[in-house]
Amino acid sequence: MENTGYVLNNFDHTSQEGPIRCIFFCEFHPTAGPIISCQEPEQYISKELFDSISVYIITKAELQKSTITVTLSDYKILGFPVRIDDKKYPRNAYHFNLCLVCDSNVRTVHYEPVVIKLSDYLMAMEIESSFLSDGKAATKLAPILKQVIEELNTKGECALTEGPTATHLKVVHVRSDPAPVADHQVPVFIKPLPDQQWDLTTQQVAPYIDGFNHVARIAALSDVENNLVKACVQNLVYYGVVALVPLFQYGNVYCTTPQLNILAHDVNLQNKCLKYVAVSQRQLPNFRDVFRMFAAMTRGTTMRDLCLRFNPANLRINERKLVQIGVLEGLIRRVHKYPILLSDTSELQKSLSGAANLDEICCATGVATQQLEDQLERDHNIVLLWK
Amino acid sequence: MEVNPLSVILVKSDSKGDRLLFRYPFRFLEKNEPANTKRRNPYTLPNLEDLLQSPTQPTSNINKGHLTGFTDEVLSSLFAVKSELCNNKFELKVNDVRFVGHPTLLQLRNKQQDASGLMLINVVFALQALASHSVVTCYHDLSKRVGIALRYEEKRCGYVSEQTQTMTTAHDDGYTGNSESAFETILTKCTLAKNIKKLYEDLCSTGLVNIQINKWITLSFCLPQKVHQWHLRGKFVEPKDIDRCLKALRPYHSLLLLHPIQQMADFTGLDGSPSLERMLKQYSPIKNLQTLAADADLTLHHVFELTAHLVYWAKATVIFPICLTNKYVIAPDAPIHLNSPLIDKFSEAFPTANLIRVISDFALPTSLGQKCNPLCHPAQQSHLVQTIIWMLQHHLLLQLHTYVQYMPTDHGLAVPREKDERLVSQRNIGNVLSSSSYHPSTSEHSRAESESGTSTVSETPELRSESDLINRSINLENVSFTSVEDEKQDYQEELLLDFPDEERGNIFKIPATNNPEDLRLFARLCRKGYFHGNHHIEEIMYLENLRRSQLLQLLDKFRDVLITYETEDPAIAMFSYT
Repeated sequence: MENTGYVLNNFDHTSQEGPIRCIFFCEFHPTAGPIISCQEPEQYISKELFDSISVYIITKAELQKSTITVTLSDYKILGFPVRIDDKKYPRNAYHFNLCLVCDSNVRTVHYEPVVIKLSDYLMAMEIESSFLSDGKAATKLAPILKQVIEELNTKGECALTEGPTATHLKVVHVRSDPAPVADHQVPVFIKPLPDQQWDLTTQQVAPYIDGFNHVARIAALSDVENNLVKACVQNLVYYGVVALVPLFQYGNVYCTTPQLNILAHDVNLQNKCLKYVAVSQRQLPNFRDVFRMFAAMTRGTTMRDLCLRFNPANLRINERKLVQIGVLEGLIRRVHKYPILLSDTSELQKSLSGAANLDEICCATGVATQQLEDQLERDHNIVLLWK
Repeated sequence: MEVNPLSVILVKSDSKGDRLLFRYPFRFLEKNEPANTKRRNPYTLPNLEDLLQSPTQPTSNINKGHLTGFTDEVLSSLFAVKSELCNNKFELKVNDVRFVGHPTLLQLRNKQQDASGLMLINVVFALQALASHSVVTCYHDLSKRVGIALRYEEKRCGYVSEQTQTMTTAHDDGYTGNSESAFETILTKCTLAKNIKKLYEDLCSTGLVNIQINKWITLSFCLPQKVHQWHLRGKFVEPKDIDRCLKALRPYHSLLLLHPIQQMADFTGLDGSPSLERMLKQYSPIKNLQTLAADADLTLHHVFELTAHLVYWAKATVIFPICLTNKYVIAPDAPIHLNSPLIDKFSEAFPTANLIRVISDFALPTSLGQKCNPLCHPAQQSHLVQTIIWMLQHHLLLQLHTYVQYMPTDHGLAVPREKDERLVSQRNIGNVLSSSSYHPSTSEHSRAESESGTSTVSETPELRSESDLINRSINLENVSFTSVEDEKQDYQEELLLDFPDEERGNIFKIPATNNPEDLRLFARLCRKGYFHGNHHIEEIMYLENLRRSQLLQLLDKFRDVLITYETEDPAIAMFSYT
């Protein structure tokens, strides 16, 4: 249940990932044509199958150095055809392609850089020492391919030290770009910051990410330029270390989502929730109280109202943490207020057009929410949309 | 837009070899070349060192939304697949372009019946590599359909031989090196080329394809990821989303057409299903599907299928029928701001009203009943209903339902029960098209009787007929009448049977348990799994023949163990929620 709600959005979870099933090296033989000269594990791709698709593996000149993926009914074959021109070869050129084979229903985009780099490595070795073309390629390649497939599948990375140059392969997962970070958003750590040498900005910013400071405030506290903080937070969002939640205020309104149903049935999520919202870890709150508070969140009920009704301190619930985990797990959702001005004063219409919510306006203008709300309430030309 | 095709390519391969016969669009390729080559600075040193390990630039074959970098010969050699791969899905990704097709083998009509008379024809769509798996599957389906149609036409009248002959001649006659003029000629001469052009243009504009192959076979196709864009801008509706929505379809849901009913005529004319026309004649957004089925004299199952069809083709959406008790709020992603085109569209439909004013009434959950008081003029009320229908059609409103969660102890359910899981899985997997399969209870029969009795009454477009409710209550009284003789002890016995001790203890602390009727109803609903947040109260009312007031009273009496919350129906809200 780690990846739900906000966290989930960063990953393309619709397509699966799978291991490399086979890795093979094929070349253009001067007399026999395209052949597989080394395969790990052996006989995974049959001769007949290879012959039917060899046109996509040993390709025409125009498709050299392109990543080519061909999807068959059982396999997906990813290759990067390479040609080395030299007079010393029987046909004045040497063609080869190192291919990965995966199941046909998995993504292979993240293996593309690996294939390109491995091909470059082989190409360098071939040019320097005729590593591939001297007739003994199969025996020399077999251990390398074995190492690559095993280590990439288990560790996701692999270091090759064969020959004069070394190369390091790593599978980097493709994730979608995180949305731009806005001033009024609040970053929360969803897993501990990995222990490594972070850049200076992150080192300076990270201590202020406590789940309650919004970006503009973090910038002020850490004495780092606002845009740098945003870039840093966006980077952390990309790596799934941080999630962004709306600013907590007692005047905020939240509403339940259909996900709340899951909380009632998932015991692991319940325990996680209880630990998270507890005022002290020694005595956890009642689950029924937690659920009741979530269930009471509807449009029109502010957190202030809820606190008055339930007195969360008595129930050993930290209401700020309650809202945080609710939003992170997607059990509740913030209901924003969008003011719209319906008169003809063009000055104000820019900011009160309905495109920006109160949080954004307050953050941009530096006005307290309560003050702004009171003012908007007095003006009859202003309509507040909650959505 | 990643769902639009970059190019449509027609390739053939026969005994005379492979050839790219036609591609559309074809006007782009020639012009971009000079723009790309920068003038070389004669003073720069050629970078000779480290040619080997220099990082290869990611090459792109897409230029301003068009396919570039492949010559026709390369494309034709790629798509003229070996016979082992024929009549199967063909998918090839080169750099950032993904090619999808369905190579089809066909027997030429006027050639002998052996290998030399076979021709491979492949209609390939070039897509961006980012296109999701479902988009690729849809395009494959389209290519397959074109292939089947062509195979049939070849068998019927030699259409493919004739068309490919014309195309080949055009290529041979046109002076070599400039394929553009040849394509130009082909487009004027060949109907198949015209079809491909129309195919491409339809896919790029609406996502609805409607072509006539050889003026004989109608090929209609819908790309759901694209076609839903016109009413849900910026949201990709995947076929599996639609499937999930349709799986969750219930007899109490109702159909909401997105177009005025008059505009549906050309759609039904094309489709030609008489039952669809019959259903549309009886259509009203305040009828549920069951009533609609009865009125149109169709089976419920068939109405479900027709609904599925209309939803898939983006002609309709599914809502809970509009009635007085429905609570609406503004949809979270409703694109409402001063510059929104919807505001003008709304004032065109309702000249006296302002969309922002109207919708602001739904800032807080508001029901129709709250909005119209008894003094309200009927015309006003119908105007209100019309505006709500308009806003629902544009996905600006979301309906809130009340869900009930049974929580007998401080830490939730005493023991997680298998029964819940079974119910949940049944709801998800079970064949929901047959309404009776998920609750084969006795009440089902009584409901069916009462429904059939009232279906004639509810023909008048009222908001949930009162007589319906009365009928139901009579039925319920009959049911409870038979059980009055039982004693309280028995009910407790009944509860004792399958409720864990801890839960039972908490339930008996509630004073309402002293009332046998309340307790019996509570136990019954609880045992049927209605209180696990999977059923909203309208569904419980429907399935159990209960009145709203009855159920609300029960929820109130047992509020210590039953927690209610309001949220949207996940099954049907997906078309408005991102």
